[in-house]
Amino acid sequence: MIEAKVEKKLGTFYLNANVSDEHFICLTGRNGSGKTTLLNLIGGTMIPDAGYITLNSRKITNLPIERRQVSVITPDSCIPHLEVDNHLIWAAKFKHLGVEDDYVTEVKTSLGINFSGKVRKLSLGMRERVALASSLISRPELILVDEALSNIDNHTDFISAFKNLAAKARIDVIFTTQYVEDSSQADHHYRLESGKSTRLF
Amino acid sequence: MNWLKLISTLSLALLIVPVVLLLYEGFGPLRDPIGYSYEVVRAVELTLLSSAIAAALSVTIFTPLAYYLARNKNSLGEALSDIPASIPHPIIGVAILVIVSPLTPFGRFLLSIGINFFNTFLGLITALTIVSAPIYINSMHPFFQSMNIAHENYALGLGASKFRTFMSVVVPNSGRGVLTASLIAMSRAMSEFGSISIVAYYVLQQPFYGVNPAPVLIFQYYTYYGLGPAVTASAVMIVVSIAMMAILRIVKR
Repeated sequence: MIEAKVEKKLGTFYLNANVSDEHFICLTGRNGSGKTTLLNLIGGTMIPDAGYITLNSRKITNLPIERRQVSVITPDSCIPHLEVDNHLIWAAKFKHLGVEDDYVTEVKTSLGINFSGKVRKLSLGMRERVALASSLISRPELILVDEALSNIDNHTDFISAFKNLAAKARIDVIFTTQYVEDSSQADHHYRLESGKSTRLF
Repeated sequence: MNWLKLISTLSLALLIVPVVLLLYEGFGPLRDPIGYSYEVVRAVELTLLSSAIAAALSVTIFTPLAYYLARNKNSLGEALSDIPASIPHPIIGVAILVIVSPLTPFGRFLLSIGINFFNTFLGLITALTIVSAPIYINSMHPFFQSMNIAHENYALGLGASKFRTFMSVVVPNSGRGVLTASLIAMSRAMSEFGSISIVAYYVLQQPFYGVNPAPVLIFQYYTYYGLGPAVTASAVMIVVSIAMMAILRIVKR
């Protein structure tokens, strides 16, 4: 359960957003409406001017990124020098999660990761699949996906598979998309307009 | 008439002509066998080895600082890290000698366990590291700033500590930047005279017993023998430095 009631001023732009939900949450809005700013505030790369953020009743407003249990994925998110299979379990290993091979195989199969090699040499869509899969396997409490689903082939089926895996692992997800129709797969849908959020369902 | 090109060519000539002239005189009219004697070869060996070790030490000790300064606005830290490069280098030499002398508890401790900096290889690489480290830090700073921070934020979001992110994400993707910056630092160390002429005018340890660093030897030749041997030894050192620059260019590609 993510609860964010935040305000942030960036130059002439003012964000005043309120998100309070769980499971699979879709965030839509035009360019410059504040989607990325809101995710940055929840993910910890920005600190709000006012307000608070709680994740599963734990206050994370001012926590450093690494202590939030929030994984942020943008189109650039990856650890470029790692091989795909090492990338998938990189965080799970140092977190001593004891992830089973069967689960890794299930994630790979569901998300269409049937390739190998260094992550830096993969196409954008392939890199995003690996980044999203690695996040799932590292078991954060919340995954924020900033436009990283849109570049994936057959992304409607991919979103469905990703949603199922996240639900099974009990991970909440907030994703932004430029395709409003993607919101049909979400449990909740928020729209941002000029920094103000509206809950549509 | 392209005035900008003309001015640029003339200003470039200002930098290059003295070097070309030295090469011409050193291997031509002023050529002196002392200038390429075994003593010079040993001095060049000592300079190359000590400068390479100083560059390696800069990489090991100062890469985290360069990264920290690149990712955190810290004007004081940047200014402090520039100090060794911005003060007259003989002062660095004097400072090293004072710190490790019996005047300070640290110096007394080092001497009590047999560590001596005066006219030793250790003193030489210490001085070279201190004067070339700011060059290394300033070269790495823009490299780290140009790295995509999304990779680091992704690793942090996965729960990696800042140190793990630095060691496991930043360092493995910094090879080319580290190599380029360390070669620049090594070039700077090779040209150092001020501090080492005080700390290690010569080295009194094997395998370099009695060997002067090359810049010191050139100065010594000039004061003992006059222009000829000094110019020839300088020309030899220029050839070595040009080889370093060529390697740097190849690495930068």
